[in-house]
Amino acid sequence: MNEFTRSESGLHVPKKKVARRSLLAAMGGAAAVPMLYGCGVGTGGGGGDDAASANGAGEVTGSFDWKALDGESIKILQTPHPYQQAFQPLLKEFTELTGIEVQADLVAEADYFTKLNTELAGKTGAHDVFMTGAYFIWQYGPPGWMEDLKPWIENSSATSDEYDFEDIYEGLRTSTRWDFEKGSELGTGGQWTIPWGFETNVVAYNKKEFDARGIALPETFDDFIQLATDLTDRSQNRYGVAFRGSKSWATIHPGFMTQFSREGAKDYTAEGTTYTAAMNSDKAVEFTKKWVDLAKNAGPTSWTTYDYPQCTGDLGNGNAMMVYDADSATYPKQKAGASAQAGNLAWYPGPAGPDGSYATNLWTWSLAMNAASKKKQAAWLFIQWATGKDAMNKATASTFADPTRASVFDGSFKQTLGDFPGYLETFEKVIDSTKIQFTPQTKFFETTEDWAVALQDIYSGADAKSRLDELAEANTDKINA
Amino acid sequence: MRPYLLSVPAVLLIIGILYAFFYGVYYTVLNYAATNPSPSFVGIDNYRSVLGDALFWRSAGTTLLYAVAATGLETVLGVAIALLLNRSTLIGKTFERLLILPLMIAPVIAGVIWKLMFNPQFGVLNHVLGLGSTFDWLSKDRALASTILVDVWIYTPFVAILVLAGIRSLPREPFEASDVDGASWFYMFRRLMLPMMWPYILVAVIFRFMDCLKVFDAVYVLTAGGPGVTTTTLQIGAFEDSITNLNYSRGSTYMFLLWIIVFITARYLVSVLGKAQRRAAGAGA
Repeated sequence: MNEFTRSESGLHVPKKKVARRSLLAAMGGAAAVPMLYGCGVGTGGGGGDDAASANGAGEVTGSFDWKALDGESIKILQTPHPYQQAFQPLLKEFTELTGIEVQADLVAEADYFTKLNTELAGKTGAHDVFMTGAYFIWQYGPPGWMEDLKPWIENSSATSDEYDFEDIYEGLRTSTRWDFEKGSELGTGGQWTIPWGFETNVVAYNKKEFDARGIALPETFDDFIQLATDLTDRSQNRYGVAFRGSKSWATIHPGFMTQFSREGAKDYTAEGTTYTAAMNSDKAVEFTKKWVDLAKNAGPTSWTTYDYPQCTGDLGNGNAMMVYDADSATYPKQKAGASAQAGNLAWYPGPAGPDGSYATNLWTWSLAMNAASKKKQAAWLFIQWATGKDAMNKATASTFADPTRASVFDGSFKQTLGDFPGYLETFEKVIDSTKIQFTPQTKFFETTEDWAVALQDIYSGADAKSRLDELAEANTDKINA
Repeated sequence: MRPYLLSVPAVLLIIGILYAFFYGVYYTVLNYAATNPSPSFVGIDNYRSVLGDALFWRSAGTTLLYAVAATGLETVLGVAIALLLNRSTLIGKTFERLLILPLMIAPVIAGVIWKLMFNPQFGVLNHVLGLGSTFDWLSKDRALASTILVDVWIYTPFVAILVLAGIRSLPREPFEASDVDGASWFYMFRRLMLPMMWPYILVAVIFRFMDCLKVFDAVYVLTAGGPGVTTTTLQIGAFEDSITNLNYSRGSTYMFLLWIIVFITARYLVSVLGKAQRRAAGAGA
């Protein structure tokens, strides 16, 4: 085994194998870090070539060794979530494997990104690894708050031969890669996070109720609206379909963006580097009207406050007959004892578009490395372990739905699915057309929250066409500013 | 030890506070944002942008309405409860202890509790009040009133406790003399208690009004400023710019403008308080 020593940048490098040229390069890189900070540029890749040279992966040489940093400790920031809960008991196995202690700090999901935004902006490096979603790359990447993980994956000294990055679904790998250029598609540039768990947005329904009443699953959106309306009986405190409606970007991305895309609508059209908001196109306006009417006639009464826990809660309680949201969000409600309707639920892809489209929007919880971390090699070992086959296989034994690796999904996950009617068939039906349906852009959260505000205004009585025109004009200005 | 060294901690504290304040003000003349980590000087562009934004003025109106309504209700209810509790009955003493409970709950938690209670599907309010599953407390027409209701629930005890302490510190002689002269309870309340109580009531009003101008947590949890922008207050606008959109300069401008509003209002109310205290002490206004 090689002897390791700590370099100036906090990385552990093998003593014997450091060539004079590598050492000089490493010293130069370490010296550049404070200067880059002085220029307001982080050590992630967002700053361009100079920042990329500050990526710590190049300093790790020699043969790969899980025990390279025995005795080290790292801090990770997470939000309580089925993925996190499935991994929590496994953390001790990581410590046994590497000798690295892990302190996992948890922040409730409602406040998680507020905490994360503040911490990353402060560049304190308090947490070495954090949970995040793919859209956040568009916000955290450009200011250089995330480490580009591509050099780490490609460095055989830092990454085990068994890691098999290509085993992660291609759509997920593509969704977490971007070059930050306006107008650029996803799949180019750095690998900013590693997908850890993910979800497709489909319909979960109360199968027991459907079977008892002989209800067939609706194939078109109009039939879906009709069924949801027919199922609604306010006097019995029962309604057709739950989906999110709160004043948040998170209202747009699950069911809404999925069906919006299936109906053939787009969020933006791009001509070179100029974007034009298209959420006021004829197709978009027609769909939006239907969606809001669906919320009024067959949705939860307090729709404008609904996030996914309320949606899935109503499904589990038997108040909502269907939920159009993430498959893995409804998945836990089917577990024995987890809800009043456990064992009664089933899944189907939801209505197809007029052309038979099953375009589905994607969300992936993924793991990112804080560019300001002083323990990057240890952080990478953790990310590598958590997104690796062994740990993911073990996690799927509990509440870890939709693993990101094809080998894990086809193997252990399918075996643990049990009595989840339609879950697997639904997944297989939509997986090839599941991807991020949004146009990547750095003002995503601002413009998408404005979109949710517009939906709420229309729900409260505003004219759909004029409100969406107003939104599109404002978003076109913002995105091109 | 030199005596002036005793002031060092206070001086350091003031420097710490002022440094952060002036740094925030400095941000308002930059274009600092996550998407622009190398900011440059932009003069009054941020002020022009914020003051020219219709949402800012709408938020200012919402904040003012919230502050006036919540403070008014809390003051009236707080004084009424204090008068009831002033009687040393067993029930009064029990309620006096229970009254403090809402104040022991963080506003953000209170917001979560009330959001659950407001839920038409499974919330307790509609069930108890027999409103069915279609009455939406947080709809466009009712959201602002519902958020004020939550504020009243949390902070009326604060006003009541403050006023109760004031009532119990009043001299007994004028009341005993009026009682001997056969004055009615209402006469004594209007002519004796209320004038002497004004300073205490005004302290409560100032605290509550200032707090209401800065309201964020409970409203954010309940509605996030919605539906639409119905309950968007100045603080929520500042939060969205600074934290959600990571536009630090615009968020700082929002906050600085709010500070100016709070500062001017506070100065005015404190001057009113001074006059009331002098009047209550018999020095004349």
